[in-house]
Amino acid sequence: MFLQQFINGLVIGSLYALTAMGATLIYGILGILDIANAGAYLIGAYLGWYIFYATGNIALAFLLSMAAVGLLGVVLQRLIYSPILAKPRTLSIIPLVAAVGLFTMSSDAVRLICGAGTKAYNFKFPVDAFHLGGVTILPSWVLIFALTAVLLLILWFILNRTRMGLAWRASAEDAEISRACGVNTNSAMALSYILGYGFAAAAGIMVGILYNSITPALGEVPSYKMLAIIVLGGLGNPLGTVIAGLLIGLAETLLSVYTKIPIPKDAIAFVVLIIVLLIKPSGLLGQKNKV
Amino acid sequence: MKKILAMLVALTMVFALATAGMAEAADPIRIGFFAPVSAASAAADGQSAQQSAELAVKLINENGGINGAQVELVSYDDGLDTTEAANIAEKLSTADNVVAVVSGSYSSPTRVAAPIFQDYGKLMVSAYAVHPDVVNAGNLIFSQSFPGAVQGTAAAEFAVNGLGAKRIAIVAVDLDFGTEQATYFKAKAAELGAEIVSEDYIAISDNDMTSVISKIKGEDVDLIYSVNYYAQASEVCRQVALQELGCPILGTEGADSWQLLETAGEYANGLYITTNMNRDDANEGTQAYIENYRSTYNMEPDMVGASVYDAFQVVFAAIEAVGTDAEAMAEYIQNMKDFDTVTGTLLSYTSNGSAVKPVQIQQVQDGAFRHYSEITDAAIINPDSYAE
Repeated sequence: MFLQQFINGLVIGSLYALTAMGATLIYGILGILDIANAGAYLIGAYLGWYIFYATGNIALAFLLSMAAVGLLGVVLQRLIYSPILAKPRTLSIIPLVAAVGLFTMSSDAVRLICGAGTKAYNFKFPVDAFHLGGVTILPSWVLIFALTAVLLLILWFILNRTRMGLAWRASAEDAEISRACGVNTNSAMALSYILGYGFAAAAGIMVGILYNSITPALGEVPSYKMLAIIVLGGLGNPLGTVIAGLLIGLAETLLSVYTKIPIPKDAIAFVVLIIVLLIKPSGLLGQKNKV
Repeated sequence: MKKILAMLVALTMVFALATAGMAEAADPIRIGFFAPVSAASAAADGQSAQQSAELAVKLINENGGINGAQVELVSYDDGLDTTEAANIAEKLSTADNVVAVVSGSYSSPTRVAAPIFQDYGKLMVSAYAVHPDVVNAGNLIFSQSFPGAVQGTAAAEFAVNGLGAKRIAIVAVDLDFGTEQATYFKAKAAELGAEIVSEDYIAISDNDMTSVISKIKGEDVDLIYSVNYYAQASEVCRQVALQELGCPILGTEGADSWQLLETAGEYANGLYITTNMNRDDANEGTQAYIENYRSTYNMEPDMVGASVYDAFQVVFAAIEAVGTDAEAMAEYIQNMKDFDTVTGTLLSYTSNGSAVKPVQIQQVQDGAFRHYSEITDAAIINPDSYAE
């Protein structure tokens, strides 16, 4: 049974990693906590639902929704975040407040436009479940593992093997010096938003398939839990975010099943965060801004 | 010039008098209402409640209102927030000049609002809140449905005596709704000789039931009692089927929604629930409500909406019989007998304002809620049996 719970935890952890990746990429380069990523996750899930509903093609739903939400991210960056950050002596709370506002707006917009009720993805896998010696594995989990792995590999490739990625890493290291050296920091920022919001959209669709339901409340838990994950991972560190996501997914699952802790499951992420920060204040992989 | 001016003044006066007269003739009866419309996690229930409130008012007005007066709905969105509920209660009581209030919200906002209405001398009827503190707020506060104690006890009776369950796992939402029903379920199940092998209380924001169901799988239970709202109940159904537990699931009115049928799909088949609404009821009122709701909103009705509709019928009946004095209305409701509602016959009221109603057992068959049985045992359905 432990193996089953371990797998359950890994599934949740993979989703956490993917959900928080957007916020990590954006923090890495802009130094702001972009809660609105949870809005991207919500809008991505709904957009994906409409595309899947219209075409019956889940791959198309993933691709179009990720592209559209990624572009939306760039638009928000250009229209909202960049002007705020361009002001001299901007308090770091200001972009955070803007992000909270955007997130709240996205939830209410989805509720008003798409309706308050639940929508079911009703995506049918060829098999319902695999049963291997007492352990159940759902095809949706396999999809989640595979997609998370592919997306993270693509991310690793872009950041480490392309000029765009080099520009991103340089801008994350020191935006001003990079600009002085001729790095186009604007396009590096745009890259963060395209990838970040796109990943959030993919995570939203996966959750929609996993639970076969999406509601306007979908973004609520990620909006605060992703904070614990990106801080735990060492703010702005993509690899740290993956480890932190998996760690929190496992901690939540195993602690809630095997111990009688008197706190809600959702609070476990923050307890883990507090413990890690007490031991290592910079987070798990907290060599600041290294990829 | 003077002439024109004089004429204008005269005209204005005539107009003013005419409109004043009109206002007097159509002085509407204002009824307050609140529901969790914008709380993302409860928005679907909020919508269902709001729409049913509007439907109730629309239908009574189309039928000539109450004793010739039209009804005006003054509605608010509490966002499932207790502070907001308190503000709304103050506003409805002091500024809005309502004669009575219907709560279309969950237990927590309703039990905060109830004492405020009582203090201001306003009558309130709660549609479906399960916590006993709601009606215990005073003589002006009523519920049109049964409290959690009745539903939890009826569930245990059905689980043990109806389905023969001996080893039971409880999965409940960590809110008044879940804890209240689970408490009474446990007590009755123990009394009937069943063993509760595990209890899990899950935050309303948490939709993941995978690990809980994996854990229960190892316990070899013969029934899962799921005291959850539809999203979690749907996940319980799906995980029980996918992980092949092969035991029946007994849910509550929280699962009584078209949304569960939508998201759980075929995995919902076989699910039993305790609720107040019997969709197979031949009762004219029940079928008319279902038909009206469908045609007006192009959606399936649920127990939340039906209960709100019924709470309005209780208030309408009281106003029609005794007028708008709160104490008189309270006395009238207190003495109601065999009042026909969409959600079954409201047999009577207990001294503290709880409704005595039979508990319906419905089962999902071929993707629809169908009548399975009914619990009418007075010792179980009379909330006075649980007075401490």
